[in-house]
Amino acid sequence: MSYKCFNQNNFATMDQPMFFGENVNVSRYDRQKHPIFESLIEKQLSFFWRPEEVDLSNDRGDFQKLTPHEQHIFLSNLKYQTLLDSVQGRSPNVAFLPLVSIPELETWIETWAFSETIHSRSYTYIIRNILTEPGVVFDDIMQNEAIIKRAEGVSKHYDRLIAMTQYFETQGEGTYDVLGESSLVNVRELKKQLYITMVSVNVLEAIRFYVSFACSFAFAERATMEGNAKVIKLIARDEALHLTGTQHILRIMASGQDDPEMAEVAIECKDQAIELFLEAAEQEKEWAEYLFKDGSMIGMNVDILSQYVEYITNQRLAALGFDPIFENRQNPLPWMDAWLKSDNVQVAPQEAEISSYLVGAIDAEVDASDLESFEL
Amino acid sequence: MSKSPEDLFELDGGVEPPPFELTPLDQNSPELDQLDPNVGQLQPELFLPQYDEEHPAEQPQRDLRGLEKPEFMVAYRGQERALSFQHAPNLLQSLEAQGVTLPYQCREGYCGSCRTKLIEGEVAYLQPALAWVNEGEILPCICVPKSDVQLADPLDV
Repeated sequence: MSYKCFNQNNFATMDQPMFFGENVNVSRYDRQKHPIFESLIEKQLSFFWRPEEVDLSNDRGDFQKLTPHEQHIFLSNLKYQTLLDSVQGRSPNVAFLPLVSIPELETWIETWAFSETIHSRSYTYIIRNILTEPGVVFDDIMQNEAIIKRAEGVSKHYDRLIAMTQYFETQGEGTYDVLGESSLVNVRELKKQLYITMVSVNVLEAIRFYVSFACSFAFAERATMEGNAKVIKLIARDEALHLTGTQHILRIMASGQDDPEMAEVAIECKDQAIELFLEAAEQEKEWAEYLFKDGSMIGMNVDILSQYVEYITNQRLAALGFDPIFENRQNPLPWMDAWLKSDNVQVAPQEAEISSYLVGAIDAEVDASDLESFEL
Repeated sequence: MSKSPEDLFELDGGVEPPPFELTPLDQNSPELDQLDPNVGQLQPELFLPQYDEEHPAEQPQRDLRGLEKPEFMVAYRGQERALSFQHAPNLLQSLEAQGVTLPYQCREGYCGSCRTKLIEGEVAYLQPALAWVNEGEILPCICVPKSDVQLADPLDV
């Protein structure tokens, strides 16, 4: 049966599982099956920020002072981040909303995806600020082979879940040509695909994003592109919450407390889930090769970034109750946590550049005599 | 706008501003009396000394209000040294003050980065955790020990 925007069936809302129950009808939050999602929504709302709040006036000059291969690292990293947030700004809505059955989770997914759209807008803000022709960067995302290759990895599980859902909702159970592959589509198969997609989202937000954050902070660690790092810090604060969200969803699924069949699915899909982590780690290392193909930068190179990939992958696996897959246990970037730290509040304006502090320092009055020394 | 040596906000850079020097101001200097705090010539600044979360008594700028805080022993697998918890606002800050660094990000219970295995003992949470916490694990950033505790890196167990 197809998706209903306002399901007119009468059913007990508290008895619905997170996914594959009745379509949500009344968006009510008076009683909640999983109050954690309400808490996540509140936290996310309290984080609200706009890119324009961050002053980027020094970054343009900083960018021009970077060597060409450093500019390549900076822009490629930004392109990758743009790709990731383009996917994350829409896909949770398109893929998960038709399947979700409890209002607090539905609203969490919408709130989550909305915050990703702020991230996307902040990349345009950053690129517009450092380049006269921002279009070149965005156009290249669709032409650059290395980036397109990344896109495949981050979107294929979403696409498969969306296609399977569409077949199931319009034609019911059966065997269909799903993205060029003859596949059985029924509730069980959909649950498996949902679980795998959720793992791939966790991988995207908890590993891929953090690898890109490491590159952004590597510049700021050298006291360059600091405005950009400030934007990324705000994005990282949101992503920390999002990865907590997917960890909760995955752990509730695996516990079976919500839907006993989901617990079976989680066990069945365990190897595939771990394989996803491994695959993503390999892809991130390959990406590191591309980033540093023309040279490294102080404090960051292929080896260091690859070690960080292994470190962060182990951390994320452990959070989901899986065993670590890499030997490496040391964080090779000890300064990362200090940049990621999100509880520090700026106390005095002179501690860093904030736009409100700089406003008073600029003399906006210009007289013709000020231009005397200009010669054409 | 005319160019004058006093004008420090020249847009064309034509006037060299006087070199800026940092000279420590003598508290008893007669110069101090001549400065007018009302027009911003004098601005008080407060410098707090580096603060050790676990040894507040050595730097008594924080008032302990005569309260005796219980001290609990803390053991962290792989750390030879004896650790303890007494004054710090949470377990994470206590460990850091004693030289044990854990991964962290939010430091307020929603990211789960500092997730630590609690092998023995009990902790009390100062606020509810938003992050997913596996069984047998704690979030040191938002809890304090209620007894002697034994901790470990979750990847080491």
